[in-house]
Amino acid sequence: MDSNSTLKAELKRLSRELASHKIELHQTRGYLHSILQNSTDMIFATEVTGILISFSKGAEKALGYSVEEIIGRSIEELAEDRHGFHHVMATCEEQGCAMAPDIYFRDKEGKRVHCHASLMSLTNRDGQRVGTVGVCRDITQWKKLQDDLVQVDRLAEMGRIAAGVAHELNNPMAVISEASGWAEMVIKDAKGLSHEDRQELEDVIKKISAQTRRCRNVTHKLLDFVRDSAPTKTEFDIHTLIKETIDFLKPELKHTPIEIHLNFAGEPLPVTSDPKLLEQVFVNFITNAIHAVLEKQGNQGRIEIGTTKADSQVEIRITDNGGGIPKEAREEIFELFYTTKPPGKGTGLGLPICRNIVGNLGGKITLDSEVGVGTTFTIQIPIS
Amino acid sequence: MTDQPNIRVLLVDDEETLLEYLSKRLLKLGFTVKATFSGEQAIEVAKQDHYDVAVVDLKMPGIDGVETQKQLRQIQPFLQCIVLTGHGSIESALESGQEDAFQYLLKPVDHDDLVAAIKEAHKKKLEVQDAKFREQLDEIHKSGLGAHGMRKAIADLRKIYGLE
Repeated sequence: MDSNSTLKAELKRLSRELASHKIELHQTRGYLHSILQNSTDMIFATEVTGILISFSKGAEKALGYSVEEIIGRSIEELAEDRHGFHHVMATCEEQGCAMAPDIYFRDKEGKRVHCHASLMSLTNRDGQRVGTVGVCRDITQWKKLQDDLVQVDRLAEMGRIAAGVAHELNNPMAVISEASGWAEMVIKDAKGLSHEDRQELEDVIKKISAQTRRCRNVTHKLLDFVRDSAPTKTEFDIHTLIKETIDFLKPELKHTPIEIHLNFAGEPLPVTSDPKLLEQVFVNFITNAIHAVLEKQGNQGRIEIGTTKADSQVEIRITDNGGGIPKEAREEIFELFYTTKPPGKGTGLGLPICRNIVGNLGGKITLDSEVGVGTTFTIQIPIS
Repeated sequence: MTDQPNIRVLLVDDEETLLEYLSKRLLKLGFTVKATFSGEQAIEVAKQDHYDVAVVDLKMPGIDGVETQKQLRQIQPFLQCIVLTGHGSIESALESGQEDAFQYLLKPVDHDDLVAAIKEAHKKKLEVQDAKFREQLDEIHKSGLGAHGMRKAIADLRKIYGLE
C-alpha cells in the first residue's frame, strides 16, 4: 500500500517534470525556429559527411535555393572553392570550430555570394561529433560598398586636386590680366603709332583680356562648384542658373554632335531656393543626358531643357534622345550605387543625391522614358 | 587724366609681377600706391605712412593675409582691407570677414571691380574716421581746455588721423 502510494507520487512528480521539460523544449524549439526563420544570416546544419539537414530562411534568400531543393546535398557543392571549404570543415572537425572571413558561395543562378562564415561542431550527449552548424553572413553588398567608397574617395580627391589647380592658375592669370591692362594704357598714350598699328595692338589686347576672362570664368566656376557652403535661400532667376550651368558644361559638349535647345517659359523666372544645390542637380542631369545621348551611337544628339511655371511650382524638364531607361530600372536608378557605367566610371551617387537635394528643397523628381526614344526628367521645386 | 580723390592704397602680395602692373594701372588712374611684397613689409610701411585702403593677398610666406590685416588695423584702425586672393576658400573668406575685411575678391579680378571696391572702401574709411574724429573733437570741446591746450589736442588728433 505504502510502496504503491510512493510509486504513484513518484510517477506524478515525473510526469510534472516531463511536462515542464516538454514546455521548455517547445519554447526552445520555437526560439530556434524563429531565429532560423528571421535571421538574415545563412544558418545551416550538416551531418558529419557535410550533407545538409537544415537550411534557414536567410540561407534560402541568399542562395536562392528552397529547403526542399537543398536538403540532402553537400554543403561543399555550394562553395566556389570546394577544396578550400573542405579544408575549413576539416579544421572545424579537428578544433571544434573554424572561422572563414572570405568564403565564396555560388547561388542558384551561379552568382557569387561573398560570405563571412563561422562553423561549429555539433556534438551529442556523449561528446561525439554528429555534424556541423554554420552561420554565414552575406557580405557581398558590404564589400561592394567598401570598393565604392574607395572610388568616391578618389573622386573627392580629384575634386580637391582640380580646385588646387584652379587656385594655382588664378595667380598667373591675374598677372596676365594686369599686364595686358597696363599694355592697353601704354598703347593709348603711345605717340608715333600709325593708325593701323594702334588698331592692331588694341585688338590684340582686347583678345588677351577676353581670353583671360574666359579662363577666369572656368576657374571661378570650378571653385564655386567644389566649395562647401551652408545651405542658403536666395532669390534668383532659374533661367540664368540653367544657362550658367550649360556654360559650365561647355567643355563636355565640345566636339560632340549634341545640340541643346532651350524652351523657357517667359523670362525671367525668379525662385527663392538654394542656387548652389540646384546647380549641382542641373549639372548632374545635363551630364547624364549628355552621356545617354553619346551612348546611343550614330545619334544626332538633342537635349531640350524646358521650364513651366505652375501655381507655386516651377517645373524644369530635361529631355534627351538617348537610349531610354528600361521600365524595371526606373526606380533602381535612384538607389545608392546603382550604375550602368563600367567600373571606375560611375559612382551611382548622382541621382540619389539629386533626389535628396530636391526633396530637401521641397520639390520632387519624376521621369518619363521610352526605350530607344529617350528620357525626360522633371524637377519640380516650389517658387519660394 | 584723373578724377580720383587722393586715395592712398597699400598693396600687399608676394606676386611681384602682379603688383608691378597693378600699381602702374592704379597710379595712372590717380591713386597713391605703395606696393609691398610681404605682410612684414606692409606692417613696417604702415608704421610710417597713412593709408586709406589695403589690398591684401591671403597666402603669403611669413605673416599671412589674415594676420597682416589684423596687425595693419592695430596700427591704423580706420584702414579698410580688401582681400584679393587666388587661393580663395570659404574658410579663409570667413576668417578674413572676422578680421573685418571690407570685401573679398577672387583673382584674377576684373580691374573695374577692384577700382570700384577701393573707392567704396575709401568711402567707408572716411565715414568711420569722420564719425570718430567728430566724437573726439566733441570731447575736447567739452573738456574745458584752454585755447592753447585745445590747439595742441587738435594737432595731436590730426596727427593720429593722418590729416597733417
